[in-house]
Amino acid sequence: MWRVFCASATGQRNFEHGVAGQDASHYIVTGDVLVAIVCDGAGSVPEGRTGAEFMVRALAENLAHTVHADPSLCEVQAEGRARLEPIIRGAVDAVRTRLADIAASRELAPHDFSCTLVGCVASPGGGCFFQIGDGFAIQQAANGDCALSHPENGEYADETYFVTDENWSEHLRLTPLPAPERGCVIGLLSDGTAPFAVNRARSGFFRPFIDPIAAFLREATETNGNAALRNLLESPRACEISPDDKTLLLAMIL
Amino acid sequence: MNTVIPDVALIDNSDERAPLVLVLDCSGSMQEQNKIQLLNEGLKTLAADLKADPIAARCGRVLVISLGGDSNVEIMGDWTDAMDFTPPELLAGGLTPLGAAMRCALDEVESQKNQMRASGVSYKRPIIMLLSDGESTDDWRQVAAECKSAESAHKVNIMAIGIGDQANKDALGQFSNKGALSLSGLKFKELFIWLSRSIRAVSRAPAGGTVQLNPVDSWAQLST
Repeated sequence: MWRVFCASATGQRNFEHGVAGQDASHYIVTGDVLVAIVCDGAGSVPEGRTGAEFMVRALAENLAHTVHADPSLCEVQAEGRARLEPIIRGAVDAVRTRLADIAASRELAPHDFSCTLVGCVASPGGGCFFQIGDGFAIQQAANGDCALSHPENGEYADETYFVTDENWSEHLRLTPLPAPERGCVIGLLSDGTAPFAVNRARSGFFRPFIDPIAAFLREATETNGNAALRNLLESPRACEISPDDKTLLLAMIL
Repeated sequence: MNTVIPDVALIDNSDERAPLVLVLDCSGSMQEQNKIQLLNEGLKTLAADLKADPIAARCGRVLVISLGGDSNVEIMGDWTDAMDFTPPELLAGGLTPLGAAMRCALDEVESQKNQMRASGVSYKRPIIMLLSDGESTDDWRQVAAECKSAESAHKVNIMAIGIGDQANKDALGQFSNKGALSLSGLKFKELFIWLSRSIRAVSRAPAGGTVQLNPVDSWAQLST
């Protein structure tokens, strides 16, 4: 039931310095459940990209394994709390521990692998966004209503929080999701994509941006759609707006 | 295979601001050696160089505070986006109330931050640049201490710069944890180009990163 498209573009800033992009993304569809994650490695640490790549895969696999065993976990309870909350918290904790072991084996600190985290578990019964640091997660219903997970920055926009931080647990934010219906669009965005993908009020997608994309992707093959998304993120206009690495993961129910 | 998505609007909705306050000494001594004129030209260079860069023009937000006259501190117009910044024409004359001017700058930074926060606009750490060719004529020590603690609390970045030999660099240095720098040979133009490039760098800084500013050797006298 899920169709998922994803693309990343290396920001001009990294490109000019011959550095690979620091964003990573991964998704797994198991049965009716989608697990998708985008991480943005910190440019200021040596292994931000490694941290982001490890985190997206390891965390997606961990969560997919759990929800595959019991898809009913995705349902949102009557009081609006996601049953997934303790599961997501536990999964992030477990993957952080594995990342700390990798860091130690290379005589580095977890901080050297700093990355942000934004992800979703979504199923026909509902789901949950989870986020540490910046970026956005948006579920836009067919009627335009949006559920959002916002970025959390420090006092200034250039300061954020990382999954590798000691106090990650205080900054892990969970947003229960209503059951997605046909025509809904779920988006995970790294920080670099947000300036043009999110509207000025920060209450949802910028519709003149997302609507033409969603219409195009509904008719596209996976390869074609991913290539078109990458073209868009690499376009001169997108680079002019944001010099950061840009990732956009879009999931739709057809 | 068609890989161009038609009709997608790509517009910057983020408006992430990089505030800059210029605290400029316009006391009587600035008339000497044509300094006030060089300062005015420097401001024009700053305005032009910020506007020449699309990101800095959109993100930079500038306020000019002048000090001089009969112990006057004057806010020269409102906060303006760099793309709309027209420098005031500064005149020299009078005293050097550095303390009152820096107090005004700290207050302006805080109220501007509150305004931006209330309207959901995110911002980078504001920069206050203090330029003086003399010695404060008011009670400045308490304000200088507040400047340092505001800096330590990451509320603001302060650059204190002395112009010429008569600038009391020790006193100016009390306004910032980084001390004061000296402007070499009245290189106002180089200074303001450097400042513009710094705002460009701050405007482009990625989330979570630190900003590496250009070296100051184009305008600063590094050994005194």
